[in-house]
Amino acid sequence: MHGPVTSTRIGQPVPRKEDMRLITGRGRYTDDLNVEGQAYAVMVRSPHAHAIIRAIDVRGALAVPGVVVVLTGADFIADQMKPIPNKTFSLHPAERPLVNSDGTPAFNVPDYPMPADKTRFVGEAIAMVIAESINAAKDGADRLQVEYEPLPSVTFTVDAAAAEAPRVRDEHSSNICIDAQVGDAEATEEGFRKAAHVVKVKTWIPRVAGSPMEPRAAIGEFNPQTGQYTIHTCSGSTLRLRRDLSLVLDVPEPQVRLVIRDVGGNFGTRGAIFAEQPLVAWAARRIGRPVKWTSERGELLLSDYQGRDLAVEAELALDANGTFLAMRGSNVGNLGSHTGNFSMVQKGVEIMSSIYRMPAAHFRVRAVLSHTAPTRPYRSSGRPEVIYVLERLIDLAARKTGIDRAELRLRNLVSLSELPYENPFGMVYDSGDYIGVMKRTLELADWKGFPARKKEARTRGKYRGIGVANYVDTASGIPREKARVTVYPDGSAEVVIGTISNGQGHETSFAQLVNEWLGVPFDKVRLVTGDTNIVDVGGGAHSGRGMRLGSIVIWGASNRVIDKAKQVVGLLLQKNPGDVAFDDGAFSVSGEPVMRLAEVAEAMAIRTDLPEEFRGTLCAECDETVNVAGFPYGCHACEVEIDPDLGLVEIVRHTAVDDVGRAVNPLIIHGQTAGGIAQGVGQALLEHAFYDASTGQMLAGSFMDYAMPRADILPSFITDISEVPSTTHPLGIRPAGEGGITPALGVIINAVVDALSEFGVTHMEMPATPERIWRAIHGKQQRSRIVPDAAEQEISLL
Amino acid sequence: MHDFVYHRPQDLTSAANLISGNPEAKLLAGGMSLLPSLKLRLAQYSDLVDLKSVATLQGINRDGDALVIGATTRHAQVAASDDVKQAIPALTVLAGGIGDPLVRNRGTIGGSIANADPAADYPSAVLGLGATVITNRREISGDSFFTGLFETALKGGEIITAVRFPVPLLSGYMKLPHPASRFALTGVFVAQTRSGVRVAVTGAGSSVFRAAAAEKALTADFSPAALDDITVDPDGLTSDIHASAEYRAHAIIVLAKRAVASARPQ
Repeated sequence: MHGPVTSTRIGQPVPRKEDMRLITGRGRYTDDLNVEGQAYAVMVRSPHAHAIIRAIDVRGALAVPGVVVVLTGADFIADQMKPIPNKTFSLHPAERPLVNSDGTPAFNVPDYPMPADKTRFVGEAIAMVIAESINAAKDGADRLQVEYEPLPSVTFTVDAAAAEAPRVRDEHSSNICIDAQVGDAEATEEGFRKAAHVVKVKTWIPRVAGSPMEPRAAIGEFNPQTGQYTIHTCSGSTLRLRRDLSLVLDVPEPQVRLVIRDVGGNFGTRGAIFAEQPLVAWAARRIGRPVKWTSERGELLLSDYQGRDLAVEAELALDANGTFLAMRGSNVGNLGSHTGNFSMVQKGVEIMSSIYRMPAAHFRVRAVLSHTAPTRPYRSSGRPEVIYVLERLIDLAARKTGIDRAELRLRNLVSLSELPYENPFGMVYDSGDYIGVMKRTLELADWKGFPARKKEARTRGKYRGIGVANYVDTASGIPREKARVTVYPDGSAEVVIGTISNGQGHETSFAQLVNEWLGVPFDKVRLVTGDTNIVDVGGGAHSGRGMRLGSIVIWGASNRVIDKAKQVVGLLLQKNPGDVAFDDGAFSVSGEPVMRLAEVAEAMAIRTDLPEEFRGTLCAECDETVNVAGFPYGCHACEVEIDPDLGLVEIVRHTAVDDVGRAVNPLIIHGQTAGGIAQGVGQALLEHAFYDASTGQMLAGSFMDYAMPRADILPSFITDISEVPSTTHPLGIRPAGEGGITPALGVIINAVVDALSEFGVTHMEMPATPERIWRAIHGKQQRSRIVPDAAEQEISLL
Repeated sequence: MHDFVYHRPQDLTSAANLISGNPEAKLLAGGMSLLPSLKLRLAQYSDLVDLKSVATLQGINRDGDALVIGATTRHAQVAASDDVKQAIPALTVLAGGIGDPLVRNRGTIGGSIANADPAADYPSAVLGLGATVITNRREISGDSFFTGLFETALKGGEIITAVRFPVPLLSGYMKLPHPASRFALTGVFVAQTRSGVRVAVTGAGSSVFRAAAAEKALTADFSPAALDDITVDPDGLTSDIHASAEYRAHAIIVLAKRAVASARPQ
């Protein structure tokens, strides 16, 4: 996978600095913090998918010894607190906005952290019991009497789009919040008219729960003397979260301090502000003491922001040679019960054609509300779904045209000379060797040797299948980032930056950057993030922006540190700064070493004879706004072996070649890829946040029913890194965090369908459980994924 | 968790006294089922009586034609025992496949069968081998022990002390792990015992049960092929979001065949 570590510079697979601390119980997660005088909060959650909250009787709860107060949504509004602002679309300049076809604005309404009027999903927090201990708070919660008037609900995406569906918001005439068209309808129509072959797929990519290892937690404090709130929490967001909190708490931003230390995973479940964050802060002010809240796994499965959930009908048109002419269809994304963020449907459809040459495309895109947990971007926001759709269409096209599946892809991949390439949705891919990477994948996966392996498996009664899938990711995110780099007389350095690590390993990879650029020893580089008292600009971690933007501003700040230091060397030695050279932590003049960086820092700190601008700390900042997107890409292959009697799938081989432009830490990159693949396996074969359509209940409410992928069902992955420098990044870097999962759904399902092709199986829905596979083999009707005992309903978006 | 008083008696009589006449008292063995239910506040007891220090409940012994396993013997101990492997290798397989290493290091056979989870592995061995459950008051035939969903024939104040497994001629256990819980989505224990063939199924109904048609076919011919034309009626079997009754009915036969195949001496 990677060679031995020979230094701690860029490109080296340096083991992570933070790991020993994290795996020996010395992590500093939110729940590890205890604040003097803190009280404990427990949330009371709705058991109904949709109900009017008629009354909340707190007397029984208040009578429990140790209970301090019970707070409700009505109390929140009465205290003049504000609702949570919505983000809706990605407004990144490189992305394509969605607008309603009829010209009306997208429907969105902000939600309160706790509703006062109605509850709109099972698991929604409707009251907060605060007590001297968690047990007392739970006892109080048990005795809270809530009078609900249940109402009809709708949970399934396609059902929610129907005109007669129970409405989630009375203010709107339906559950459809956006109904847009993207692409060129006329050119697409033309493409289909000319087509020699048309293939179609109808599919539903179901809802999943991101399941980070660390449950959500928040501690709120309020200082009445200063009027300042302090919130300790886990999040992927820094300044944006602080801003959102200040809007909800209705105070100026400087009155909110946000502190984020170690975070045990995110994947999008905590990229945005979540209800309990402003609630603990508000409660702390109400009761005059800190309030701490930590959730439990069952709460996470019900009330974390969930992911995916897209119903698609799509068609691909090809000519007689198998050249792609056009694609069209309809996507309906399920927002859950909040109109918090529509960017998943946006980010999906804008790269619907992936990295293939696609002359024309046209899609209808809708986002609907339903009585389910709100959805938000989940690792690779919107893309695994659409890549799966196109890769399925291509496999169907290969079958129809008789052209080999790999050959059909190679023929249609955008070639080196065609880049930059504008896709039919207006996205411009900068650079990449798509064909080279796919060829490498086929080689590493031993695509040619597959027929022999398939034959051998049959002698053991097993059926093998293989799939290959290409992908592209749009790495955008909040465009602005800032770093301040400081070098100290003791030879150490500190990087203050507005990104945040939720497991990406920035403590290590950013230290490698500083080691490379400033020669500061790796172990002496400190990373400071997550405290808004220290960090004043930055966007946190999402959409691959951590390394992509972090590298730019750390590089910029490092260069300014060197320039400043050269000026000082020039002054001290009476030389022209232009004659001073810097390499690996040391300055030289005419080839002779003169001073080390740390010595310059010391001189600036203690000498009084330097001009004022060079007295003090040796530090510099870099604040950049990057309006271009990054486009990581790659190709994965998956080989499965199926036990036909029980429908059991074994992944015998999974190969990944991902282009990261320039790898900073291959060990971390391989780790990211492996994690992404595992999450893809999870959705393809196991995971489903199963909402019962008739009751609105989420039936996979614990890990006893929500099936997570585990290490023992996965092979060792074959992961390879390609480095074709990105032409739109000064260092050539492309993000690596989401490549593992983006092609995973498509490549795994294609492998399964390939394995079952001799039984006449042409498609498989997710999760491809043993029963689903067994039924497909025997031509039996599939079971529904929305009503446990019913037959599968045909998805129709027309 | 609600408050409780914790006891750690050193002998069986003390343990029995602690739970006698007190329906709010509960026995604690490995805690692998009990503790999660307490943490989730699904159950509440005034007293927990921990059996781990009662020495007479531990141990694996060969007793003539039978293997006697003490009630607080942990799954990992059963899985690692040479006596078990020699006498009833299917039990080694069964115990080694329960949960995960953490669960196997703490979970006990007595706890498992007293809890009578419809998807637990051990009940299929008790029924599949015609075992006897020994308590501090009497002996209960395995055929009468499991009476319903999380229900057994145990009376208030009764403590399982051991399970006596008659050593069979041949035995095999095959389990289709539940994708989430790793309990048995369906599990089949097959044995050619000294008093006939038994096929015990777990995970497919509200309680472990014997598959009569399969037993009849295997009695005539103890081979996988004997089950080729045997089916199980899905009616009454469990159906949930993971698998339908129809699939479970099908899986029973597939697993039974594989269990028979694995029962053959190497």
